[in-house]
Amino acid sequence: MALLTIIGIGNRLRGDDAIGPLAIDALKALNRPELELIDAGSDALGVLEYFENKQRVLLIDACLMGRKPGTVIGFEPAEAQLILNQDPLSLHGLGLSEALAMAGSLKLLPEELKIYGIEPDSIQFEEQLSPAMAEALESVVAEVQNELQKVGGIPQN
Amino acid sequence: MSRDLNIKVHHLTRVEGHGNIVVNMKDGILEKAHLSIVEPPRFFEAMMKGRSFHEAAIITSRICGICSLGHQLTSLVATEDALGLEVSEQTVLLRKLLIHGATLQSNILHAYFLAAPDFLNVGSVFPLIATHKDVVLRALRMKRLANDIGDIVSGRAVHPITPVPGGFTRIPEKTELLEIKRRLLEEALPDGLETIETMKALAGAIPQFERETEYVSLKNPNDYAFYEGDIFSSDSGATSVRNYLDVTNEFVVNHSTSKHTKYNRSSYLVGALARWNNNHSQLVEEAQGAAEAMGLNPKCYNPYMNTIAQVVEAVHCILDSVRIIDKLIENGLKNEKPNQTPTRYGRGVASNEVPRGILFHDYTYDNKGNIVEANCIIPTGQNLANIDEDMQKLVPEIINKTKEEITLNLEMLVRAYDPCISCSVHMLEVDFIE
Repeated sequence: MALLTIIGIGNRLRGDDAIGPLAIDALKALNRPELELIDAGSDALGVLEYFENKQRVLLIDACLMGRKPGTVIGFEPAEAQLILNQDPLSLHGLGLSEALAMAGSLKLLPEELKIYGIEPDSIQFEEQLSPAMAEALESVVAEVQNELQKVGGIPQN
Repeated sequence: MSRDLNIKVHHLTRVEGHGNIVVNMKDGILEKAHLSIVEPPRFFEAMMKGRSFHEAAIITSRICGICSLGHQLTSLVATEDALGLEVSEQTVLLRKLLIHGATLQSNILHAYFLAAPDFLNVGSVFPLIATHKDVVLRALRMKRLANDIGDIVSGRAVHPITPVPGGFTRIPEKTELLEIKRRLLEEALPDGLETIETMKALAGAIPQFERETEYVSLKNPNDYAFYEGDIFSSDSGATSVRNYLDVTNEFVVNHSTSKHTKYNRSSYLVGALARWNNNHSQLVEEAQGAAEAMGLNPKCYNPYMNTIAQVVEAVHCILDSVRIIDKLIENGLKNEKPNQTPTRYGRGVASNEVPRGILFHDYTYDNKGNIVEANCIIPTGQNLANIDEDMQKLVPEIINKTKEEITLNLEMLVRAYDPCISCSVHMLEVDFIE
């Protein structure tokens, strides 16, 4: 069984929003069997299913945190106030904040959950990360490897 | 009654994809009532240029995390039409099964997470979790099964990987399909029947409003059309999908960055209610019974009833999926390879019914199999003019209600259509407690 589940969220066609899926690609290339890697695309409600029977989960997503583009912050849901769209006009208004709030009330949250939020620069339609985000991608991948080591993954190199 | 009314519902909490409701009434005369879309225009068509036929569906499936399957399959059929690629009966059956899964998922989530909170007047799905946890879990169970259908048939629930031009790169195992069939009958069907009871109990809260309009959907003689068929208008009958531009007639309006469409009248409606009105006699018996039980009768001119039509379709999708699985197994699963040898290069047009309505993809390929032109018309764009005209009839009818009630009625109306306006990006907004 995997020691750690990583879920990347985002749309590969929307500039810096692609960071979640791209992090999953980069981690796949490392070939670490201790990692379970999930590219959830932009279906945020899907995390409710991925959480099932999971102990330790890391979510990677572009987050609007009011920081400098490319800033990476690792936090637990309780440390932050996720801003809910209380009154969405369509299903597309239900995003990760809403999914996490639902998971919390339904007691579906994994035992340990950490979110790596990365402040985006641009989320226009384009297939390239901004320079700040490309740098952030490397540090997120390194952070995941640190986390893996903490939970008993064998250090590499 | 002479009254001034000024309603602006801004949904600015999200980064991209806002729909704002704007209503202006002065001295009892309606000056303005519309849904204003401020989502920046899509550059999807430009992104498609120069792509090979292998890539087209991969890109289009990423337009949207919720509508990915519909875009992908429609893209595949457009490519097959352009390149003269024939597909097998097995491919068609597997695709229909995928569409049923996606429709089941979207319709159920819409009914429970967006419409039910309105009918219960609790504002959003969050209070529901506390008061009706079993109902929320039921919705999630059905979503889960729908996702698993996607996983087994297409390799991945969110952005499918095995459906390619000409067929599938992997055919599901018989045991996998039988397990899905078991769960459809033992889990989804009872959940679907419970859903009918839940919605029946809530149906009294559905606003009584009618506006007869033109209903546009696919139609074919063989089944309740989701996959392929002719375009059918309740006003003028059938026309080939090739003629879709004569149906959509896109035009620009000042208050929306998304184009509007019109066919025989100044607006038309697409989606579950249009499908129901045009094709209800082709639903499985249980779904027709569900419609009757929930008070949905042909022809229905109340746009709020779209949610009920979605639940009816969910029941149909569950049972028709069982029929498709039986047929696949009866035919014997063949480990066939996708047919990817083009017999021509040129223009291809395709249309499928996705949860929100009729979708069109139109590609032109050069003789190397690369796209030179692409066009994509989504259901929400086709519903926008109809939403505006609904509002213009609705507001004077409910003008004696409080401003809050009017606003809620308008929001519920927009939600009934479940517009796909912010479909491309899901950003988490965070404030740190400091």
